[in-house]
Amino acid sequence: MYWVSVITEAGIFAILALGLDMVWGWSGDFDLAFYGYLALGSYMTFVLAIGKPTPPVEYIIGWHLPVPVAIVLADVAVVALAAVIGAIALRNLRDIYFAVTTLGAVSALYLIVQTYTPLFDGFNGVYGLINPGQTALRLTYNGYRVVLLFVVLGLLFLAYLLVQRLSRSPFGRMLRAVREDERAAAAYGRAVFAAKYRAYLFGAALAGLTGGLFAIFISAFNPSAWTPQELLIIYAAILVGGRGNPRGVIVGVFVVYIGFIELTRFLPSPASRPEFGPAMRQILIGLLIVLMLRFRPEGIFRERPGVDRGQRPGARAGLFRSRPDAAPGRPPAGPAAAAAAAAAARTGDGSAQ
Amino acid sequence: MGTFLVSVGIGLSTAAILSLSAVAFTLEYAVSRVANFAHGEFLTIGAYAAYTGQRFFHQNLAAAALLAAAAGLVAGVVLNVGLIEQFRGRSGITIFIATLGASLILQNVLVIGYGAASVSYTFAQGRLHHVGPFLWTTSDIEVILSALAVAGLIYLLLQRTRFGKAVRAVSQDRALAQISGIPARRIVLQTWALAGAVSGFAGFALADTVGTFSPTLGFSFLLLTITATVAGGIGRPYATLGGALIVGLVIQIAGTYTNSAYELVFAFLLLVVLMLLRPNGFFVRGSAAAVRA
Repeated sequence: MYWVSVITEAGIFAILALGLDMVWGWSGDFDLAFYGYLALGSYMTFVLAIGKPTPPVEYIIGWHLPVPVAIVLADVAVVALAAVIGAIALRNLRDIYFAVTTLGAVSALYLIVQTYTPLFDGFNGVYGLINPGQTALRLTYNGYRVVLLFVVLGLLFLAYLLVQRLSRSPFGRMLRAVREDERAAAAYGRAVFAAKYRAYLFGAALAGLTGGLFAIFISAFNPSAWTPQELLIIYAAILVGGRGNPRGVIVGVFVVYIGFIELTRFLPSPASRPEFGPAMRQILIGLLIVLMLRFRPEGIFRERPGVDRGQRPGARAGLFRSRPDAAPGRPPAGPAAAAAAAAAARTGDGSAQ
Repeated sequence: MGTFLVSVGIGLSTAAILSLSAVAFTLEYAVSRVANFAHGEFLTIGAYAAYTGQRFFHQNLAAAALLAAAAGLVAGVVLNVGLIEQFRGRSGITIFIATLGASLILQNVLVIGYGAASVSYTFAQGRLHHVGPFLWTTSDIEVILSALAVAGLIYLLLQRTRFGKAVRAVSQDRALAQISGIPARRIVLQTWALAGAVSGFAGFALADTVGTFSPTLGFSFLLLTITATVAGGIGRPYATLGGALIVGLVIQIAGTYTNSAYELVFAFLLLVVLMLLRPNGFFVRGSAAAVRA
């Protein structure tokens, strides 16, 4: 059962990472609000499914909907929030400005949820979603968890197929074009904001779904479950797997996630210092991020270029195919570099590279 | 009116610390084009250095402040050499993410060293003083005066010395400064040392004013710092002082009239609104296009 639980959790985070990779990997926006979408999805699933609060517990709504319906409605709420934050942050802001704005937004959300108890009962959080539907399905506790595992893996597979398809679609290629050179993409008539905005909303929708699954998985949710820093392990996983490559992202999450859980199990954890283990884990995540960025920013699996319709499929594909053009973040070389340098010279923005 | 002026007074004390932190942040940005997410940890390191030192100094505030600044200086140098320069030539956002990783590392090293629980200094907070319409503790007054002094020193350093001239040149264009014979590498390192020292001192002042602190002290203060920096216009040291004043007063006054638990919410919403309307700062009449990649 231990492994069932670990793999379920990794599967849930893999769906989250697929969504985040659309925003960061394809569209190129470093979003720090993303964990807030998971949290809101989780909270909303709870308050839509667990019924009226009994005082002194308090939270909004308090309906008693079937869990799948609750997850869908929660996801709608998440996308609505993302629509607001995205509209503010994506229109004119890029890079650090974008990151900082999303961090500001999610921090405000975090503080409000924590302090304003009528919303989601503040620090105590919401709970009471213990294996919903277990009796109706006539399952044992363990049987239910196994079914949940397969549901999560099934959803992950569906999400992967969808994302993979989108990735190869004109939409996916447009996003990458926008990421590589926004001005050039705009000059070719691409609606930059609309493209980024759609990717952002799609990513948030995946995060909201993840929140719903997470609600079932941990059956309670409170502010200690979602400090914005939790997002960093997802970024680390994407970096390891290969930014912009859906398969790499999934592999990255499983490797990093299970790797870290297993590693921390064997760390010395003196009873007098309960904070030692988690702190070590955070240090390792930080190190992983810095080292990956420094030495292999493209990850284990590189992003594959979009397939041209006129080209024979698979002609240029291959797992460890060497790629002539530059990896993201590396100083470019070759003809692509000349174009980039010319673009930089035009905009007088060479220092940004 | 009395409540209002008292909250203005406390706001000034917050603004004083914020201005130090924000000036250091903006100096780092000016010479390296890096939004340093590990900046908050400079403050935390300063605060904990003084915490370690207070055993030996007893009530000697000046010694504790110097120790905090020295620790911050070391942190600034180490981060510059060990991380920022390693990532030279990479995009701004890549370095930003790397500093985010560094922040996570430093913060948790402090957790392992000092524990995650809150600690506090044994320094006396001093009596309450009525200064004009304001109500300050002794340490509030010390903080405000020392912040003014440090800000003045930074001004003189940047405007009146060869070092300051070199810093301004490097922040305009590092490559051009380099070929004009300015040792850019050394100037950048010295600027980070200066920024680290100022941050370490600010961390000590912050920890002393808020009373109890934990390894997340600086991290929580970072977003406020960024808000103040953006309010002034990033990379512009003097405008940053104005930004800090605005942010310090806004959060204190808004907190007084609603609920002090929401102070930071106002700050973060202010940040979002600023980004929406004046991403280049209050004092710049410019288009939002300037912050595009």
